[in-house]
Amino acid sequence: MSRRHRGHAEHIDPDLPITPMLDMSFQLLAFFIMTFKPSPTEGQLAMQLPPPEQGGGAAMPDPFGDKPAKFIVRVVANNNGQIARMSIKEEGAAAPPIDLGADLNRYMNALKESLQRNKDKGAKLTLELDGRLLHEYVVALMDHALRAGFSDISPILASGSD
Amino acid sequence: MSHGNIDRGEPNFTPLLDLVLQLIMFFMLSANFVMEQTAVEIRLPESIAAKAVEKTAESIFFLNINKEGRVILTPDQWEGDVHTLDNPIQVENYLRRRANEEKRRTKSDKLETVLILRVDRETEFRRTFEIMNACRRVGYERVQLRAILHGTLD
Repeated sequence: MSRRHRGHAEHIDPDLPITPMLDMSFQLLAFFIMTFKPSPTEGQLAMQLPPPEQGGGAAMPDPFGDKPAKFIVRVVANNNGQIARMSIKEEGAAAPPIDLGADLNRYMNALKESLQRNKDKGAKLTLELDGRLLHEYVVALMDHALRAGFSDISPILASGSD
Repeated sequence: MSHGNIDRGEPNFTPLLDLVLQLIMFFMLSANFVMEQTAVEIRLPESIAAKAVEKTAESIFFLNINKEGRVILTPDQWEGDVHTLDNPIQVENYLRRRANEEKRRTKSDKLETVLILRVDRETEFRRTFEIMNACRRVGYERVQLRAILHGTLD
């Protein structure tokens, strides 16, 4: 009660010292700016795991069925683990494999054409990769295939390259 | 020459302080966004088509694979003194133990965990393929490859 009777005459304006807080804030800010290292953004590439058994003979094409077409890209690596040459063929087709050299853009265009030809029934892609091929190129091949429109991609080890 | 009527101008520090504190908050939060399972130094390849993890994924498990094809376990993945898995048999046994644990926990025979392989860009495919085969034999169906989104590398 006695406090209430003091009235406004004794009102003291509190002086909050903001400068030390600002100093400290600037120091913290400087520390975080100097130690800040933005980490690169990571993402995932979806894939199908290799089938239980590889090979097993060539399947016959299914011209009248609704089964998706299956394309096989065979990749041979050089001794440095880079792409030496690639070829593409449709599983079971009589036509010989088409040579794509080591050009990833040519590979992507070939995939786009293959998908375009089979847009009504869809298509699967199997990458038969040389065991020496570096992961960087495996991802590049999958990346180009995804960009070409394939969603079902299965990387497997080419026979005789283990 | 009386000084009695001079008003002292005082700068208003409050908005400045607000801004500085917000900046500090931003840097503190972004500095703490390092996931434990991806803390291993692996030089990932770049990709344009890579996508973020599906929102439907209930559980995610990372396997960090170095260029020799060894799996480097992060501290939360250690099993006693085992910090690395040096061959595909060890990887398969390790994954089988995890898979059994998950099946017990979820009371389901199907593994829902998304397995993400963080493979060094210089790893030979034969090494990666052995680990992919191990994942398939254990029963993991959802396996993905990790890559750095093109243009975000330092």
